[in-house]
Parts: sequence; C-alpha cells; structure tokens
Amino acid sequence: MGLLEKQFEENVLTTKVDWLLNWCRLSSIWPMTFGLACCAIEMMAVGCAHHDIDRFGAGAFRATPRQADLMIVAGTVNFKMAERIRRLYNQMPSPKYVIAMGACATGGGPYYKFGYTVVKGVDRVVPVDVYVAGCPPRPEALLEGLMQLQRKMQASSIVRKPARTA
Amino acid sequence: MDFQGIHDHLRAIEAPGLTGFDEPRKPNPEVKKDPGRAGDPYVIVDAPLLPDFLMVCREDPRLAFEILVDLSAVDPSKDDENLWVVCSLLSLTHKHRLAIKSFLPKESPVMPTSTTVHRAAQWHERECAEMFGITFERHPDPRHMLLPDDWVGYPLRKDYEFPEEYHGISCT
Repeated sequence: MGLLEKQFEENVLTTKVDWLLNWCRLSSIWPMTFGLACCAIEMMAVGCAHHDIDRFGAGAFRATPRQADLMIVAGTVNFKMAERIRRLYNQMPSPKYVIAMGACATGGGPYYKFGYTVVKGVDRVVPVDVYVAGCPPRPEALLEGLMQLQRKMQASSIVRKPARTA
Repeated sequence: MDFQGIHDHLRAIEAPGLTGFDEPRKPNPEVKKDPGRAGDPYVIVDAPLLPDFLMVCREDPRLAFEILVDLSAVDPSKDDENLWVVCSLLSLTHKHRLAIKSFLPKESPVMPTSTTVHRAAQWHERECAEMFGITFERHPDPRHMLLPDDWVGYPLRKDYEFPEEYHGISCT
C-alpha cells in the first residue's frame, strides 16, 4: 500500500474507484433467460446446484431485459428471432454484455450451409463479448466463458483518463 | 386389411381419383446398379380429386381411415417436373394404414384443400404452401406457418436460392 499505509484509522481500506465499481458489477451479473435450443438445457444445468452459476453471482436469471446485464444467447438464432433479439438487446440497460453460447449462436453451427432461416452467428445482430465453443458446450465451458467476461469487465474503466499533454 | 386388400377394395368401390399404386421391390441382380425400392407401398391419386378420395376412405366402413397422420410434400429433384404430395392415413377401427401420393406440376402447383375432410390438414397444408409454393384452394387460413410473413421464395424447393439479406441481417 506504500504511502497510504497506516495513514487512516482501523477498518478503512483503500482501493481504486474503477476496481471497486468493476468488482461490484462483475460479482452480480444478472443474465437474461434466453434459451433458444438445446444449449439452454446446458445453461439450465449451469444454474442448478451441481455447477451453480450463483458462485459467481450470476444466478439471478431475469425474465425481462430491463433488469439484466448479460444476455446468454443459448441456441439457434433464426431470422424471425433475430429481430426480437435486437429489440431485447436495445431494452437492456448499459453496461450490457452478450455471450454467444454454442456453435449455432457463434456462427450458424450445423445449419451454416443449408439452414435457410438460421442467422450465421448472432454477432450479425448484436455485439458479442464472449464466444463459447461447443455443440452444446459443457457447463464448465459456459462457466469459463463467464469468467472470461468477468476478466473483461475487470479491465474496463469508467474514470475519464486525464488528457495527455504534449 | 393389408395393402393389397385395401387397394382391391378401393378398386371395387371405384374410389375417385385412384390411378395406380406402387410397391417396394428388391433390387434385381440381373440389372446393373438397380437400387430397388424401399419404403411403404402407396396408392397414386389424382391431385384435384384428393379430398374426395380422402372422404371416401374415411366414410367407407371397411376402410374407416379416420386419422390423417401426415400431409407433406416432396421436391424429388431439380429435373423432375412434378412435386409430390404425400399423405398417410390411419384407421383406429381396423388398425391399418395407407400411404397416398399425388403429383403436381411445378409450373402450377394448385390443388384443392383437404381441410374439408380432415381439419388436421390445416397446419400441414400451410407448411407445404410456404415451403413448396403449393396453393391449396379454399384453405380457411392461408397464412405462413413457420416462416416470417414477408419471406421470399420457397426454401424446400430444389431450385431455391438463398436471399442476400433479411431485414438488414446478412444471410451469407
């Protein structure tokens, strides 16, 4: 702690604003329930006791985009759904994050060539932060994706950097 | 009844639209690369008379096909000039089944609706209509079934070409 050490009374911790706010955010990511296909089964498994996404503070699945921070797109996205996804994404409050779970949401998956109504990746509709590979991914893979997202959130900053002087 | 019995009975009562039948056969060893034919035996019915045929199948006490199990369509190949409409019937009374095929020209695939006989045909016909471009005349609810309402083209046709984009979302 260097200079700041022992400058304050007991029970006072020092930290950075960025670190504190990021820590608050990434410790309570509320995902939106967004199961579109078989990946949703794995997502539900992640929510259950055996894998328990609540360990990461991300167990509060919300049924409305207005209370959600994270959209886990779990499954095959078709064009009819893609417009709804875009609308739901726009309804989420910032800062908002998207995990593309599984092969279909990442790039069309097995429907890439002949799936006439399948969007070839949800990143054509909304910006994606983390891609989770697998068909469907293991629950551990989704947890790893969540941890990657937390790492990404840890690096974000809300404090305006001071302007560089020449 | 087995297929032969059903077909003979249909012939005997002069079911409307019945033009023939086809049965599976083993590959002929004398002919080179003869694949034979797998699957079920089916009767061939004139497409414009299919509802009448279904009505007769349902009302005849010895056939009593009360249930339309499926109604779907097939585009067999790019070069074929016909679409197939395939129905399966089931009788719970007599515990027998029947497969029916009708041929429709791709240039004007129009046939009367079977919903007047089996209301279960409604959704099946809606799906055939959007996927293959078959028009079912006097259908009570001719909307799209699965595809968006403004979808262009018939995706399960062999000559279908993918759209470039849909509502600003790239399709390729």
